[in-house]
Amino acid sequence: MKGTVPLVKAHETALFGSKAVGLGQAIRDGLPVPPGFALSGAIVEAVAAGNDRAIKQVAKTARPLGGPLAVRSSAVDEDGAEASFAGQHLTLLNVPSSEHLGAALSEIWWSANSDSAISYRQRVGLFTRPSVGVVVQALLDPESAGVMFTRNPINGEDERMIEASWGLGEAVVAGQVIPDSYRIHRSGEVLQRTPGFKKIAIRTLPEGGTFEQQVQPELVEQLCLDDGQLAELNGLADRCEQIYGPARDIEWAFADGKLHLLQCRAVTRSGS
Amino acid sequence: MTGAPVDALQRVPLFADLNQREVKQIARLFKQRTFPAGETVVQEGSGGAAFYVIESGEATVFVAGKEYSTLGPGDYFGEIALIDEGARLATITATSELGCYGITFWDFRPLVEANGVIGWKLLQSLARMYREARAG
Amino acid sequence: MTNADTVQELRFEPPAPGYWERDAVHFPRPMTRYWQEVHPAAFARGTGDFARFYGMLLGSLGSAYVHGFGYRSMVPVADEEVPARFQRASEVMQGKLWREQLRDWDERVKPDSIKAHRAVQSVDPAALSDQELVEYLTRCRDHHAAMIAQHMRYTASAVVPTGDFLAHVGDWTDVPPAELLGLMRGTAPVSAGASAELERLIAALEADARARELLASDEDPGQVLAALRALDGEAGEAVSGYLDLVGYRLLDGFDISEPYALAMPDALVRAIQIAVAGRDLEGADVEAAVADIRGKVPEQHRAEFDELLGEARLTYRLRDERGVFSDIWASGLMRRAVLEGGRRVAERGLIHEPVHLIDAGFDEMCSLVADGSGPSADELAARATERTTRDPKAAPRSLGDPPPPPPDASGLPPDVARLMRATGIALGHLFGSSEAEHDEEVLRGLAASPGIYEGPARLIAGPSEFDRIVTGDVLVTQSTTEAFNILLPLLGAIVTDSGGLLSHSAIVAREYGIPGVVGTREATGRIADGVRVRVDGDAGEVTVVE
Repeated sequence: MKGTVPLVKAHETALFGSKAVGLGQAIRDGLPVPPGFALSGAIVEAVAAGNDRAIKQVAKTARPLGGPLAVRSSAVDEDGAEASFAGQHLTLLNVPSSEHLGAALSEIWWSANSDSAISYRQRVGLFTRPSVGVVVQALLDPESAGVMFTRNPINGEDERMIEASWGLGEAVVAGQVIPDSYRIHRSGEVLQRTPGFKKIAIRTLPEGGTFEQQVQPELVEQLCLDDGQLAELNGLADRCEQIYGPARDIEWAFADGKLHLLQCRAVTRSGS
Repeated sequence: MTGAPVDALQRVPLFADLNQREVKQIARLFKQRTFPAGETVVQEGSGGAAFYVIESGEATVFVAGKEYSTLGPGDYFGEIALIDEGARLATITATSELGCYGITFWDFRPLVEANGVIGWKLLQSLARMYREARAG
Repeated sequence: MTNADTVQELRFEPPAPGYWERDAVHFPRPMTRYWQEVHPAAFARGTGDFARFYGMLLGSLGSAYVHGFGYRSMVPVADEEVPARFQRASEVMQGKLWREQLRDWDERVKPDSIKAHRAVQSVDPAALSDQELVEYLTRCRDHHAAMIAQHMRYTASAVVPTGDFLAHVGDWTDVPPAELLGLMRGTAPVSAGASAELERLIAALEADARARELLASDEDPGQVLAALRALDGEAGEAVSGYLDLVGYRLLDGFDISEPYALAMPDALVRAIQIAVAGRDLEGADVEAAVADIRGKVPEQHRAEFDELLGEARLTYRLRDERGVFSDIWASGLMRRAVLEGGRRVAERGLIHEPVHLIDAGFDEMCSLVADGSGPSADELAARATERTTRDPKAAPRSLGDPPPPPPDASGLPPDVARLMRATGIALGHLFGSSEAEHDEEVLRGLAASPGIYEGPARLIAGPSEFDRIVTGDVLVTQSTTEAFNILLPLLGAIVTDSGGLLSHSAIVAREYGIPGVVGTREATGRIADGVRVRVDGDAGEVTVVE
């Protein structure tokens, strides 16, 4: 069954979901996305149902990625929805290898079909059966990571808002630390650098999975991004906007000194 | 193997009067789901998406914050919210690791509509709940 | 919503020269026209009195209203009075003159006030002629103004010894002020809201089985109270005595727009049930806490610690009493009179609802009762709607000049400096926390999602505790994950310890359109489960409103 493609070949959102296609497009446009695979909604469902052939197929597909994996849900019909489904996305960082994908995909399928996910869909006007694809990539071990909105989501100002912390960006996304807060004018001028309170960092384990590391005291309130990195992030924001349009919600990471793009989607209704 | 094991479903009173072929058909529609001990499986008041059958482990049912009953292998729950598309009537928490098979609304409804025997069993179960509610 | 609010934004101009600070703690919502007329002069008088008594470098406090929202300013003392003030400050600190004020309160002012309230209360407004009612309204208004001034007059004595204690112990330890204030609780039965009348009521109810049965019944609370009052013997008398004491006290706030206790029988019944059910066990806990904190104070300061704590506890009950026995009662009596006026005026078809008379100015109230002249029914109805729907977010935190720099105490004589410091700390913590028996704590975080919401806080550690959430709760937790989404339809607001504006909690709060404050650092440590909190998602503040 055609159910898996390399990310660079993910074109159909109806099959793979908008996250996968978005990342695929980003790769095609030359943006620094870690390579990986897109798994279709159909194959994810088959795996969750216990279909052995589907389980073997995904394991074989992802094998070239090697060691620990990052597995993210890619919902098939969120395009055009008013809400960002910020709450419904599931990211699993504890998948040691492609042999363990079966359980991960089952978990992702159920999270898309959970009571809260279905209620959420109904609330935003989606009454159809959900379909959820998956993006599988190698797990990064970043020095710092976080989130950037290319437009201020609180007041709508034309400036980049960045929240950053040590280690994996999940600490920022899941709100486990008070992250550094930066605002940059699109010209590159840095308007704000407020250190957060970054007591923990989510770090990866060599055998897969993550753990919470206590950050050294002197780093807790030290800015984790320097001006060079901020300039790189501003550049990335520019490129994403040129390709996709204004108001992007970007997840990024600096690993081995390089900037990686992990996610780029539209900023939706932000309550302002 | 897709779906739930046939013997897991055969023990469920709801499916007791079905023959093996019918149970097999139904079993294909289920997906396995495991809840770690302590997790909230279903939250009172929230919308309902799935109906579950317990294969292993134990769960506790809370209504309005008070403990009401416990569920174990062979028990099922979650059908009411799927029938009337309303809110969950109780909070169910996994007391031990809970192995379930679940079926979502999109498969549950056609299943009930197509199979009169299952429909009748659900009605009986509802009638019993209604009597209990009136008495208590 | 009325035209005024929808058509244009309100302009907020400073009411007079100087620095005006919004008092959102005492006056969270717009005040009535009547209040705006009566309060400023009485407030200036009372604050001027305490400033003079204590030898403060303050002339008085000013109060003004802009679009109904209360603002406060400080009026400095005239230069030529400064030497006299220095002298007085010294006398106060050396002679512990707050004790004099406390004695005055206990022996004269409080009993006299209660007598005065009872005298006003004993009149039945419904039995008065229109002309008599106008005279009665005037009497209630004058009484109310006098009581407002009285309340403020006793502010310093409630505040200075406590502030002094906080200042010194703050220097010696790093125990937070909120914890130090906790040491004041339970020092005397009166500070727990009790009174001789309540003690008598508890005793009577404990001895009377019928009364206890009534109290425990599920009947309508209004009927329960009436039935309790009607009991013969000690029980009925004790109930009446208690209700006479507390019945016309406003349950919350200060304005005549707030209900008094008799209008909320379920709150009264609950208060009585609680009083009868449980004795205050705070005593033992407080002593343990005192010992604990005393242990943190360096050895050489412990004797002084004991002395300062003693003075603070002596005067602490004045915080509660000075409001309850002054304007909180008088305001209830004024409201009662105005409602009687409103009833008549409504019956005559001049206003739509009796309660709309609350929004008339004092002269307008009198003329409507006397001869029917005054603002139209629609005008008063519009005022009521505007006052209750005007958005508090519109009121800026300050108006006028920038805030003055904090006073430099180093050049002042030591007693004056000490007094100033004690008052400063106290005005910062207590001025906002004393009236109406509220304990205020403001937590600050990131303003993640706009709006203001008030409701019970629910501390949730994780999914295993989700079943404790009830519709309308404020979620208070370390941080949230997708697992928490299941709770969203039930929540009124979200508060987290950690997290930024782009974190999960912030994003879902904005999407669900409920107020959110994230990154507070210590919400779960400082907010107790079940307390009522106000979450201001625009200002990024969470206030405990006990």
